[in-house]
Amino acid sequence: MNNIFEFLAPLARNRAYLDPGSGSILLQLVIAAALGAAFAVKVYWKKIKGALSKNKSNDETDTQVQEPDDPEKKS
Amino acid sequence: MKQSASFRDPSGFLFTDKGTLYRQVNEEYKAHYDKLMESGLYHSLVERKLLIPHEEVKIAPPEKAIAYKVIQPDRIPFISYPYEWSFSQYKDAAITTLAIEMLALDKGMTLKDASVYNIQFLEGSPLLIDTLSFEIYDEGSPWVAYRQFCQHFLAPISLMAFTDIRLQQLMRVYIDGIPLDLASSLLPGKTHFNMGLELHIHRHAASQKKYAGKGEKAKVKEARITKLSYQGLIDNLQGTIKGLNWEGVGTEWGDYYDATNYTTAAFERKKSLVGEFIDQVNPKMIWDLGANNGEFSRIGSGRGIFTVSSDIDPVAVEKNYQECRKLKEKNLLPLLIDLTNPSPGIGWENNERTSFIERGPVDVVMALALIHHLAISNNLPLERVGEFFAKAGEWLIIEFVPKDDSQVQRLLSSRKDIFPKYNEAGFESSLGADFKLIRKEPIEGSKRTLYLYRRK
Repeated sequence: MNNIFEFLAPLARNRAYLDPGSGSILLQLVIAAALGAAFAVKVYWKKIKGALSKNKSNDETDTQVQEPDDPEKKS
Repeated sequence: MKQSASFRDPSGFLFTDKGTLYRQVNEEYKAHYDKLMESGLYHSLVERKLLIPHEEVKIAPPEKAIAYKVIQPDRIPFISYPYEWSFSQYKDAAITTLAIEMLALDKGMTLKDASVYNIQFLEGSPLLIDTLSFEIYDEGSPWVAYRQFCQHFLAPISLMAFTDIRLQQLMRVYIDGIPLDLASSLLPGKTHFNMGLELHIHRHAASQKKYAGKGEKAKVKEARITKLSYQGLIDNLQGTIKGLNWEGVGTEWGDYYDATNYTTAAFERKKSLVGEFIDQVNPKMIWDLGANNGEFSRIGSGRGIFTVSSDIDPVAVEKNYQECRKLKEKNLLPLLIDLTNPSPGIGWENNERTSFIERGPVDVVMALALIHHLAISNNLPLERVGEFFAKAGEWLIIEFVPKDDSQVQRLLSSRKDIFPKYNEAGFESSLGADFKLIRKEPIEGSKRTLYLYRRK
């Protein structure tokens, strides 16, 4: 089984020059599902909110321009 | 000449040639470099001022056999380190790292390291200076730099916020970031109720302890997490960092300008004299030492001169940085420096992170309302103070604060006056050993004098 994973693991992963630490990798496995789910909820909630506010602003006035939602853009 | 800070990563290294800084990209990093440039990630990051811009140049690589390319990154005017940053500078550096990681993931790449030393301040904002930090994202793999991010960013910032601002100085001791078991034991119990700190510090430390030396290689190799979980991890770290705040309590300097004995006229006179002296020298860079919140540093930076504005007080440096951010100032770098114990050379051969003084000499050193703190509070002989300034810079703008000034009286009120030489004549003869006097002007409306010196 290990060999199959080793075969599948692309070059990029094996050449990591930092030791990620077993404890740090295995903790990620433990918390991954919960954090992924929370992130999914957050993204969809933003989309819903975005859609609602867009509809609302469309109802109020057609001339308002919505700013694109870009959380990564530096303020 | 190879640079001493970039020897760990086999992807490439920094070197200087005729005073210009270059980075050799090694052949083994080719696929990753090409992906960075061709995926649009490089342009997207540079456009947002999150990554240092570079140009590919045609000069001979120092290690030709393993070379792919040579690039020339834009130069950072002054390299600074996390133990010299204010709370918000550190926090902004962390947020920048995570924002870069999120953008990288969108383009199919990821940060293979999250070293705080890869972040520097350029034109007032933090950005990544290591172009070779990216690798192609292997969908399903966990974040290899997670441990490093927590040690380099989350642990120190949370300790500064929750335990004591001074614990940032642990970064001077631990070159690879604060060990998580140490951070976990130093954080107060209430941080167990902060979800991010509970997961990324406390449980992280416990997990490291649990698996230390257990030989879980197989389990680690098989470890897979979905891209959504990966993004969730970064997003959660972002939220955790953004939620950390430090309320600087009133310190010695917080209200310094309100408590001085200056008249408004004397204050303005001092400002205009400092401006005149700077214009006379016309420097490229200034170090304003003991700058408090940077009021006088801005005389230099306002003229377009890059100015390092250092102080010993975390509150003053924090206020200075917030002002920089508010006004979008590009030529000012506030830093936390204790002149009686400035940053030493640390890391391998004491040479990975250079000492404060080795990052000079600078064109102009400004030492305004500083001499009495060095000579009287710290018992430093005036000659030694002069020697230090001569090492730090070619020109010196220095204010002499006499004994009958109320600020000096305050310092002397709690101690014996063992400073018979501390007077104008003693000051001038001590400085005269290393410097030539160029100008001397009384600051009208005060008992102080402003000097312009040039190193002999």
